[in-house]
Amino acid sequence: MNMMAPKTAAEHALGVSLPSRRDEEWKWTDLKRLVEKPYALTPAAADTKLVERLAKSAPLAALKLQRIVVVNGKLHSKPDALSVSTSAPVIAQNDPVLSLNAKLQPQIIGLSFLENIDQPIEVLHITTGQGAAIASRLHIAVSAAASATIIETFVGEGEYLNIPVTTIDVAAGGRLDRVKIECEAKAAQHLSHVIVALADEAKLNDFTLTAGAALNRQNANIDFNGENSAAHVSGSYLLNGTQHADTRLVVDHKVPNCTSRELFKCVMDDKSRGIFQGKVVVRQDAQKIDGKQSSHALLLSETAEFDAKPELEIYADDVVCGHGTTCGDLNHDHLFYLQSRGIPKAQARAMLVEAFVDEAVEAIENESVREALFALVHERMA
Amino acid sequence: MALAQQAEIKITAETEIQDNRMLKITDLHVRLEDEQREILKGLSLTVNPGEVHAIMGPNGSGKSTLSYVLSGREGYEVTKGSITFKGENLLEMEADKRAAAGVFLAFQYPIEIPGVATMQFLKVAANAQRKARGEKEYTIPEFMKHVKSNAEKLNVSQDMLKRPVNVGFSGGEKKRAEILQMAVLQPSLCVLDETDSGLDIDALRVVADGVNALRSPDRAMIVITHYQRLLDYIVPDKVHVLSDGKIIKTGGKELALELEANGYADIVENAA
Repeated sequence: MNMMAPKTAAEHALGVSLPSRRDEEWKWTDLKRLVEKPYALTPAAADTKLVERLAKSAPLAALKLQRIVVVNGKLHSKPDALSVSTSAPVIAQNDPVLSLNAKLQPQIIGLSFLENIDQPIEVLHITTGQGAAIASRLHIAVSAAASATIIETFVGEGEYLNIPVTTIDVAAGGRLDRVKIECEAKAAQHLSHVIVALADEAKLNDFTLTAGAALNRQNANIDFNGENSAAHVSGSYLLNGTQHADTRLVVDHKVPNCTSRELFKCVMDDKSRGIFQGKVVVRQDAQKIDGKQSSHALLLSETAEFDAKPELEIYADDVVCGHGTTCGDLNHDHLFYLQSRGIPKAQARAMLVEAFVDEAVEAIENESVREALFALVHERMA
Repeated sequence: MALAQQAEIKITAETEIQDNRMLKITDLHVRLEDEQREILKGLSLTVNPGEVHAIMGPNGSGKSTLSYVLSGREGYEVTKGSITFKGENLLEMEADKRAAAGVFLAFQYPIEIPGVATMQFLKVAANAQRKARGEKEYTIPEFMKHVKSNAEKLNVSQDMLKRPVNVGFSGGEKKRAEILQMAVLQPSLCVLDETDSGLDIDALRVVADGVNALRSPDRAMIVITHYQRLLDYIVPDKVHVLSDGKIIKTGGKELALELEANGYADIVENAA
């Protein structure tokens, strides 16, 4: 891997080798080229006023939530009632993002749920590390038959590289609803990795909104370790300017009788570029798997781009798996119909884009969080 | 000074005359932007407030093109002629501006819009029009009341209002929803493009009742249809025969009966 290529200034600064387009999984997101800055490994102290301002303007600031605030990768504040631990499972570092995260030795923030927790908990990541690489490490453990809703929100200011890694264990019969809101600073780079392990009859409902950062790469591995478990993974991109977002999602069905659903609805405007790489693996003994994946893109300009790479790797013979991808412009008949009723063109376009994105947002179970996301999408479209 | 005053008086008088004609189409030539083929070839039509005009004609005569050119759909090029609506040049206005000015097209094939709830769509449309006209926007309770009373008359259920625009609606439901939109938006010129297509007799009656309820001295209608049947329910003041992009004959409501009995062939031949 890049044996011949000389190390870039960024690689020297970070002390790692970054993947390039020669690596199949990174062919659309050439980190060697895209991560240019020689980021510092330790950020300057965060400006308290800036942190306060970012917290106040965060997308869900108006919602009453239990809130854990993480500033530049470190635990900043948390509700008294909530206990946070500093242990997490050891994970393989067989991936550039994971090894970079480990190299930066992030503080571990662990959340365990032993029963049903109704009120959503937000982990608000505020990053102000001008010119620095920041790593965070969150571990979420949901005990047997317990449930929780976690929102991971990312906001920030300045040019920085954020490398958050989240590990999730859902024990037998447990359920986790996770919402990720990526509204990083415009000039930021965001490389994340989430690793999920599902036990028997565990459920994961995951939604990611990708709206911020100049460069965004989100890796996700979902391992079905227990039977009758289910994962619904959905997401939306709202990209403009020259933003670049790439999701690499690997669903690994190791055991029989499980369900996976993936729905991504991506909107690209200006010269932005969206990528969705979804892989569904069904192991030899994993019979009766019901796995469906779809990604749909809306290109709002002629210079926007979307690349999709769906992969099905199926070794079992009694499964129902499928994938579908569409890519297109706004429907002109829809636009005319709305205009013919008096809705100005710009407003009609925004309505149609929202309707497109909302289909993915609807997967969010918690009503107040879902409504907040609808409002956030609406605000971004206006 | 005296001269200027005279000129002013003259302008006012002219404006009054124009206001009396709601719609004036003069020698309209239209072709599809993609093709060279001309579809409307010198169509002229004047519609006054309170009048209901029926436009009948064989397939391909240009009926739907006329409805799209009136409502401002893209893809049509006007090569000659003019359309004046309430004294203004309609062709210079975007589709949404025309709607705000009072033009409404009831589509032959209403468009399905997934993800946009009907009620929300109606409210956004009504308020966008009010805003464009400089009127106060509806409050939510006001608007709910306004829609509800109209929906009941047209057999449009609350469930339909919650569903996405036209998605999963039957043919009859779609046409009733179009008339509901018309009733809610209160346009001054209603263009009904083959509103009878795909309707059984009962549905036709409901739709026709809805349309008739909207007839008023300050509202005009252009009813485009293949068949006389609809005109039994929506009785027109004038009937025009459109053939090969031009109006070739104009008469009273009895012209529709004549067409029903003898077909278009005779009239088309006589005109040629």
